[in-house]
Amino acid sequence: MPLLEISDLITAVEPRSAHRLPVRRADVIRQLRESGDERAARLVAELPVDQDGVLDPHAVDRLLISVHTELQRLNEELRIGHRLVHLLGPLFTAIRSTAGQQGPYRLVDVGCGLGYAIRWLAATNALGADVELVGVDLDAALVGEADRLARAEDLDCRFVHGNAFDLPEAATVYISTGVLHHFRGPALAEFFQAQAASPALAFCHFDIAATRLAPIGARIFHRARMRNPLGRHDGVVSALRAHSDETLLRAAAVPGIRPLLYEPRGAVNPFCTTLRPIIGVRPHLEAPLRSALGRDARRIVGPEQLAEAGRR
Amino acid sequence: MTPAIALVLLGLVDAAFSGFRAYAGTDARIRKQRFNARAAVRGLAVGAVLLLAPVLTAVLLLMTARDQGRTYDRLTAGGFGYLLPLTVYATAVLLSLAAYFALPFRASTLATVVGLGPLTLLRPLALAAACLGAVLNGGGGSALLVGTIAGAAVLCVEPAVHRRWYRHVQ
Repeated sequence: MPLLEISDLITAVEPRSAHRLPVRRADVIRQLRESGDERAARLVAELPVDQDGVLDPHAVDRLLISVHTELQRLNEELRIGHRLVHLLGPLFTAIRSTAGQQGPYRLVDVGCGLGYAIRWLAATNALGADVELVGVDLDAALVGEADRLARAEDLDCRFVHGNAFDLPEAATVYISTGVLHHFRGPALAEFFQAQAASPALAFCHFDIAATRLAPIGARIFHRARMRNPLGRHDGVVSALRAHSDETLLRAAAVPGIRPLLYEPRGAVNPFCTTLRPIIGVRPHLEAPLRSALGRDARRIVGPEQLAEAGRR
Repeated sequence: MTPAIALVLLGLVDAAFSGFRAYAGTDARIRKQRFNARAAVRGLAVGAVLLLAPVLTAVLLLMTARDQGRTYDRLTAGGFGYLLPLTVYATAVLLSLAAYFALPFRASTLATVVGLGPLTLLRPLALAAACLGAVLNGGGGSALLVGTIAGAAVLCVEPAVHRRWYRHVQ
């Protein structure tokens, strides 16, 4: 039975236009019951609806902002910002060393939610002044809140409601945190293909490492750190839905992109790596990236090294 | 020598952390050191008030006891028994915190995943162990009563602070 996250079901948007669509509570409950998740169905049953049984969009928005705020706390505690900079710093060093022209470069966070990664990068100026920081999400409420938060702290970044691959200006690097497991089946490869087809030079998508510890770790951690039952539920389901290293490398192997995985399973302590990224670079960037990473380059594997490690 | 001062200090430190936890996850700003500090102070204030309950209970037990000396000795023994598991727990928390702040991000993740996260969930268990320690060390029913009230008081700080200041904060 497929594992479903409540937050994926209670909002719906038209992917190209990002126009919000009505969601009937009964449909969501039915989907959750069919997937065998009675507890999630009970949580959704408590959400308010209008006279037609359509979920109240304002209540859903408030709920999702609240859950994402709690989720940010987890990201803060797990130092996701530092993890991002650890790779994005060398990646931009590689880009600067090979680019024909000076910046500005553009970093686009796909499915940015409340934009924690972008706002943290802006607050710390960790990537330098020549990197423009943009967060994009299909959820208008989350993007609106991200924008409000950025303005409240006078941060040099911006947020766009829409499709990250339809921006008027091209991205230099695409990133995301905790988004990949939402793409199932062919949608995962399509996600990487869209980036390969764009002028972007690289991508770096962090998601939950699919280890045996991840589900129990998520259960403990979300119980300890989140109050909202929806957040706790989806946090555990996210860990269960996390893609394996092999799946990510296979999906990211698209023409024009060299797929690389940082900190693959089995090569690192699973207690130290809760999230790890799949990286994709234009082939000419691999060598300068490895060089910029220094000793940490040994943590990067391509599909061939992963296959070899699997045979050993 | 009395364990009361150490117990009260431990309770107040725990209350400050509880205040921080009550606020954590309610504010998505990036720069919030000032707000973290304020939440800890709020926790400390609420904790100070709530911890009066076990203190007053102990005083009341002493004042109404037929043999005050014996009751005092039993409460003291119980207090030491109560302190031991909490000291072990507090040491684990402090070591995890030190590792979290001092080590690079990979190792700090380890400190969180193995230490800080599970230890938060283990607080009620640590307090139950403390109550057991109070009884096993000869504290009897009076030490168990004070210990139970103290445990309930420290466990109430986080929900009380959250409800009072942070429930509707976005």
